[in-house]
Formats: sequence, C-alpha cells, structure tokens
Amino acid sequence: MATSLRLYLTCIRNTLEAALCLQNFPCQEVERHNKPEVEMKTSQELLLNSILICRNEAEKCLIETSINSLRISLKVKQADELENILTKKFLRFLSMRAEAFQVLRRKPVQGYDISFLITNFHCEEMQKRKLIDFIVQFMEDIEKEISELKMSVNTRGRLVATEFLKQFI
Amino acid sequence: MILLQSHSRFLLQTLLNRVQNLEKAVELDYHWVEFDDVRYHILVSMKNPNALLLSVSLPIPPPEAVFMGGLPFGAIEAIKAAYGVAVQILDPPRDGFNLTLKLNLGKLPPDEEHRYALLVKIASVREVVLGAPLRVVLKHLSSRTVIPGIDGLLAIVHRSKESFFLDPQPDKVTVVFPMRFKDSVDIAFATSFLQEFVEARRTAGLNNAPSCLWSPTPPLELKEAPAEALSANAGFVSFVILPRHVEGKKLDRTVWNLSTFHAYVSYHVKCSEGFMHTRMRRRVESMIQALDRAKPGVEGRKKSPNSRSFKRLSLKEV
Repeated sequence: MATSLRLYLTCIRNTLEAALCLQNFPCQEVERHNKPEVEMKTSQELLLNSILICRNEAEKCLIETSINSLRISLKVKQADELENILTKKFLRFLSMRAEAFQVLRRKPVQGYDISFLITNFHCEEMQKRKLIDFIVQFMEDIEKEISELKMSVNTRGRLVATEFLKQFI
Repeated sequence: MILLQSHSRFLLQTLLNRVQNLEKAVELDYHWVEFDDVRYHILVSMKNPNALLLSVSLPIPPPEAVFMGGLPFGAIEAIKAAYGVAVQILDPPRDGFNLTLKLNLGKLPPDEEHRYALLVKIASVREVVLGAPLRVVLKHLSSRTVIPGIDGLLAIVHRSKESFFLDPQPDKVTVVFPMRFKDSVDIAFATSFLQEFVEARRTAGLNNAPSCLWSPTPPLELKEAPAEALSANAGFVSFVILPRHVEGKKLDRTVWNLSTFHAYVSYHVKCSEGFMHTRMRRRVESMIQALDRAKPGVEGRKKSPNSRSFKRLSLKEV
C-alpha cells in the first residue's frame, strides 16, 4: 500500500473513532419519531462541525456528525474516462444493494461518489471498532477493485486485438 | 470462443438436421436475428420436403453505400460462385427480405465431406452476401489492380444505416471503420479496446499484420465522405490491407474479419461487461461478510447440541 494511502486511511480511522460517539436522541418535534439528525438538520445545536479529509484534489472524505448519526461521504479517484465509468458502475451496483449493507446510503451526498449513514442503532447493534474496520476496508477494496477491473478490461482488449490481428498473418 | 465463426450456428444445425432426416417430411418456419442486424427466415413445407427456402434480410443501407436490387454489388455473382447448382435465387425475394434462396436438398453432393462443406458455406451466407463488395476489392488488390470505374472512396454497409469505407489503391486498400456505440459504458470500453489494437500491432509477433490506427477524429481518407458518416462516438479505426494479407486462402478470412469487425468488438465489450458484473457480485458478497463480522454474537449463537445447560431427567432415573 502506498504511504499516502496508509496515512489517509489512518487519518480517517482516527477521525471516525473520535466521531463515532452517538447516543439515542428522539425527534424534538414529532412524538415517537427518531430521525438521524445529520440528515434532518432540524436544529443547529444537534450538529457538530464537519471534517473534510483530502488525500489529493480528486480523493477526499467528508465526515459530518450529529448527536445521533454520522455521515461519511467518499470521493474516489477517477483518472480517465474508463476509470470514471468503472467507478460509477461499481458504486451504483453497491448503492443498489444498500439494504444488504445497512450502513450504506442509497444516494451519495452531492459532489461525492458514495455515502454511509451510521446511526446510534447501528452502533448498538455492531461493535464500533469492527464497524470502523469495515469502512476502512471498504475504501481499500474499492480502490483495489477498480484498478483490477481496469486491468482486466485492458488485458482482455489486448488479447482480443492480438487474436484479431493474428488472423491476417 | 474469442473469434466469431463465419457460419451461423443455428442455421448450420437446422440444415444438418434437415439433411439427416430427409425422408421425414416436417414443417419448419423459423425466424432469427444475428448480430442485431441480419435477419434469417427458414421455411420448409410438408408438400415439398426437399425444398428449403432461406430468406435473409440485410441491414438497411445508408445512402452512400452501393446497392443493386436490394443487394450489395457483386452479391449475386458471389452467391452463384459459392453455391453452384444446389441453390437457386428466387426473384423477387419474399416480402420484407433482401434475398431468398431455394435449396434443393436432394441435389446436395452425395459424399459426407463435400456435403458438410457446402452446408457450412450456405450457413455463412452472411459472409458471402455482405462481404461480396469487399471480396471484389480485395481480389483486385491481390492482382494489384483497381476496379475500373470506381475511384475514391467506396462505402460498404455493415450495420443498419452505417457503413465502413474502403480506399482502394493498386498496392494497398485502406479500410476505415467509424465506430458507433449506443451506451456510454460501451463507448468507454470500446475506446480502450481500440487503443489496444494499435498497441498490440506494435508487438514483435504481429509485425506482418495490417497496420492499424485509431483516432478520435476522421482520418484523411474520409475527407470525401458524407458528413453524417463522420459522426462516430468511439473514434475511427483504419487498417491498411496489403496484397500479402489477401493471398490465396487468406482472402476468405480477411473478408469475414473485416466485415464483422464491429460485431467482434461489440461482442467483446458485452463479454467484458458481463465479466465485470460477475466480479462485482462476488465483491459485494465479500463486503457483506466483512460487515457481518462487526455484529457481535453471530458466531456465539450457534451452539452445538451437546452443550445444553440443563439435563432432561426421565421418570425412570428418579
């Protein structure tokens, strides 16, 4: 793993560890409702400062926190047209399966590629450390998967081209 | 299967089936489409089980392509040369088709090998008909002449309302394909594939292959082409075919490969996408497992049946 990636991920991990201290907080306006405040933004006091962690211009991570929920949005590096398409396809594929992931948001926050929403209920159900592990692993996996996909497209293209040109010899 | 085969597999299967059970009269009426652009229809009636009608509908030609009586130029001669007496061209063809062939199954060559070869040839009717103009040009190339009466660009239809271009010269023929795809994903994949063609040509083993160029803008050869032919969203590929690429037996293969170049690229683009989906599915599964690890007590809940915390007593033991 490149050093800059490791530093980036460590920074995110530490920030998440600090930020993931959520508590139950019922809605203030409607009785027996319990909504993630980071999404509703009903009251200024319930929100904390958001943190932006950047590896470079193309890759960044926005962490927004509130009293009972936390939102992580990722922007993934897209160097060229092919990577752009692959990233879009892959992340769309994941977002469509958001139910299976529980903490994944169906739609990314504007300007980002994929978002997670973690509420206090998730924290009660799952171990916090493992949850952070999952997020960090997820980021690593996305990067790896996209570069592997790109490589496989290129390898296939090369093979296809070679076989075609061989026909003429 | 990396390369596309020149015969339509289904057509060959149907023909073989029919030939083997010639004494049994059956009724056949099949329609199917190949590569999204050529439509086939087979008809056999109970009354005359020896006769088989094969109709082919070709892609709609763009205005610049030369068509004579609904067929590319040179097609009728090519059919006659390829099939001989066993096949008769019906004029006019069936409604909605460009060409109807009447096969007399009784007149096929008696020995197994020749018959099979002829049936394969009939099953590659697409190559014979659509590749006919290309074959004429390349044949002239092998004798280092140009077709009299044709100077400048020659357009040959290969997909509905789309054509590729030939620039015939006595010592070489430049073939230019404007590549168009519908989907933005297809475009991105195809563009990277086409660039690989140029890269692959540079490797040592392929020095004798036709030189291959890809460019996002129309190459110089196309400056006389009509404007609507110059809008290609995946760029332009050109191959320079030299006489050594069309010598002897190589001619057939070259004709087939060039006339289905688009289908070939598009087939592999789709395969790539399919592969990507399988991969992504697998990746999602492994990611969900990673998330499940975060839930406590998933492993602990499954206790073996022997480790009960109580013991059931029966009356006898008391």
